[in-house]
Amino acid sequence: MNATPAASSSPTKPTPSERRRFDVRVESNEPICREHFRLRMRVERSSGVFPATRPGQFIQLGCRQPDVAADMEALLGAEREWSPGEPLKLTQPELCGPLALLRRPFSLSGRGDDKDGTWLEIIHRVVGVGTDWLSRLRPGDAADLIGPLGNWFELPAGKKRGLLVGGGVGLPPMFYLTEAMKRAGWDAVGFVGALTSDLLAVKRVAGVDPATDGKPARCVEEFARHGFSAVVTTDDGSLGLPGRITLGVERFLAGLGDEQRRETVVYVCGPHVMMHAVAQLAAKAGVDSQACLEQAMACGMGTCQSCVVKIEDRQRPQATTADGTPWRFRLACTDGPVFDGRVVVW
Amino acid sequence: MRQPLHGLGYNTAMTSTAAPPSTSPALAVDLAGLCLANPMMTASGTCGYGYEYAELMDLSRLGAFVTKSVTREARKGNEAYRIVETRGGMLNAIGLANVGLEVFLAEKLPQLRKLRAAGPKIIVNVAGHSVDDYVSSCARIASEPDVDAIELNVSCPNVKDGLTFGTDPALLRTVVAQVRGAMDAKVKLIVKLSPNVADITLTARAAVEGGANILSMINTYTAMAVDIHKRRPRLANNTGGLSGPAIRPLAVHLVHRVYRAVARDAGVPIIGMGGIQYWQDAVEFLLAGASGLAVGTALFVDPATPIKVAQGLEQYLAKQGCKSIREVIGTLKLHGE
Repeated sequence: MNATPAASSSPTKPTPSERRRFDVRVESNEPICREHFRLRMRVERSSGVFPATRPGQFIQLGCRQPDVAADMEALLGAEREWSPGEPLKLTQPELCGPLALLRRPFSLSGRGDDKDGTWLEIIHRVVGVGTDWLSRLRPGDAADLIGPLGNWFELPAGKKRGLLVGGGVGLPPMFYLTEAMKRAGWDAVGFVGALTSDLLAVKRVAGVDPATDGKPARCVEEFARHGFSAVVTTDDGSLGLPGRITLGVERFLAGLGDEQRRETVVYVCGPHVMMHAVAQLAAKAGVDSQACLEQAMACGMGTCQSCVVKIEDRQRPQATTADGTPWRFRLACTDGPVFDGRVVVW
Repeated sequence: MRQPLHGLGYNTAMTSTAAPPSTSPALAVDLAGLCLANPMMTASGTCGYGYEYAELMDLSRLGAFVTKSVTREARKGNEAYRIVETRGGMLNAIGLANVGLEVFLAEKLPQLRKLRAAGPKIIVNVAGHSVDDYVSSCARIASEPDVDAIELNVSCPNVKDGLTFGTDPALLRTVVAQVRGAMDAKVKLIVKLSPNVADITLTARAAVEGGANILSMINTYTAMAVDIHKRRPRLANNTGGLSGPAIRPLAVHLVHRVYRAVARDAGVPIIGMGGIQYWQDAVEFLLAGASGLAVGTALFVDPATPIKVAQGLEQYLAKQGCKSIREVIGTLKLHGE
C-alpha cells in the first residue's frame, strides 16, 4: 500500500529503516519516445515485501546482470553438468564487455500493489553503458535494486493545487505524484517540456492536442487519467506552446489570483538550470516550491558523500556565497532528493 | 530440477533473506595481535560510520570495521562533481568530508562500541595535515576505550597537503614514529600506503621502521577523467582517486611486492585492498601476501559484499583442503620458483 504523504510544510527526512536490496523481474520495457523507455519491474516474492513508497523517492538499480557473481561461485562450487540450452558460465566477467559498475539512481514513476505483490516503474533514457544495458532488458529478465531511498514531495496542509513541472527525465516523479494529488483531492496541472516533440516522454491522449497558447488541456495520458490537464512546451515549437517550459509556468502563474497562489505548490524536477528558473518564478509569484534534485551518486545511502548539493543554512553554515547566503552541503540521497526550492543555493 | 543460473534471481534469493551461519574458525586471522574472526573489513570512506548500511549488511559478521577518515576539524569536502564512473572503476574526490574529531568521539564512536560488542574490531582512520595534527588526533582517539587500531591515512590524493606524507619515506618514518610513540601501546597502528610512488617498498620500509604494526594497501590511484565536450576534467577537483575492479591487478602486484620485499621478513601483516568484488579477487590478495582484506567500492554496489566474500573464502578453503586461511596467505609461487 502506498502511504499518504504527511501534511507538513517542508520536505521531511525519512527513516531509512526499511531500505533493502530486492530482486526484481522485468514485466515490460517499452520505448515511449525517442531515447526514453518505461521499465516496469515486479518485485520477487523471495525478496519479501517492498516497503511503502512516496512520490519523489528513488531506487538504486543495478545496471548489469545480477547473476555474474553467482556464475563465478558456481564454477568452483559443486561439479555441475552442462545441460543443453544453459548459458555459458562467465569465468572473467570483467572481460565480457563494458559493464556498469555502480548502480544508477532512478525516481519512481509509479508503483502498484496487487495479488502478485508489488510492481515498480521507472523511466530511463540511454545515456551510457548502464542505461544501454537497461534498454535491452526483456520481460522475464532479472535485475536487482536497493530501495526505497530518499525523502519525498510533501502535500502541505492548507494547499490544494499542484503545478507538476517535469523536464526530460524529470517527469517520472511527477507521474507518480499525480496519484497522491488525486488521493488528497488536490487539483493538479502538468507541465511537460522537451527540445522537440519526439523527445516528450509522455503518452498523448488521442484526439486532444496540446494548446499552442499554453492553456492546460487533457492532452497527456499520465495526467488525464486522474482528470488533470497539462501544458506541453517544445523548444522548437513542434508541439504545444513554442518555447521553454518556464514560459508555460510563468503564464499559468500570471493567471492565478493572490488567494489561488497561496493555495498552490510548484513541484519541479528536471535539468538543474530549468529547476532553478522554475523555483525563481515560483518565488517571484509568492508560491511555495519543492525541487527534486539530481547529483552524481555512488551509494545512494549516505556513505560515499558524493551527491552534495548546497542548501541555505543560517544555523550551521559551512561557507557563504558571493552574495552573502550562508550554506551547507547536504546529500541529495539522504537529506533529499526533495528540497524546498527557496533554500537551494542554485 | 536444476536452477538456471541466469534469469530469475538465482544468487540473491539465497543470500538476502536466510540468516547466514557465523564464520568458520578457519577464517580467523591474527594481524600482529589484532585478532579477527575473519579477514573481512570495510575500506575507509566506503561504509561511513557504520550505521548507514545497517539494514543492508550484518556488520557484526565483519572481521573489523574501518571508519571514514577523521580529521581534527570538521571538513565540508570538495565541490560536486565528486565522483565519476570510469570503465571498471570509480574516480572520487570527496575531499575528506567528515564531522571532525570531537563530533566523531561524541556521536559516532558510541555506536561503533555497540558494534564492537557484537564481534568486529574497530579501526579508526585518521587523516591530518601536519605531524602535530596526526599525533594529537591519534593520541586522543587511542586513549578512548574500544578502539582496537588506528589506520593512518597518509595518502589522500584529494586534498592539497595529503599526498606528501605518503610519498616521502623520511617524512613518513617521522610521522609514524611520533604517532606510534604518542599512542597507547595496546592500540595497533596501521599505515595505509599510497600507490602513487615510484617504489612502494621504500615507503613500506619507512612505515615499518617508524613502528607500524600493520600495513594496509593500497589507497586510490591519482587519476583524471575528461569531459571531451566541455574540455574540462569531469571532477570539480580536477583529479581524483581511482578505485574498483580496474585497479585490482595493480593492487595485487604491489601487495605481493611489499610482502616479499619488506613485510614477510619484518613480520608485519598486510591488509590488502583494491577492487575486491568477488571472493576470487580476495584469494588473489591472500596468495600475494595479504592477511586482512578490505572491500571498498563494491560496498556501494552491494553492501553485503564482505559477507559474500567470506562465504566464498570458506568454501574455497574447504575445497583446497585447508584448515586455516593461514595455509593460503603468501603462498603464491612465481614461475621459475
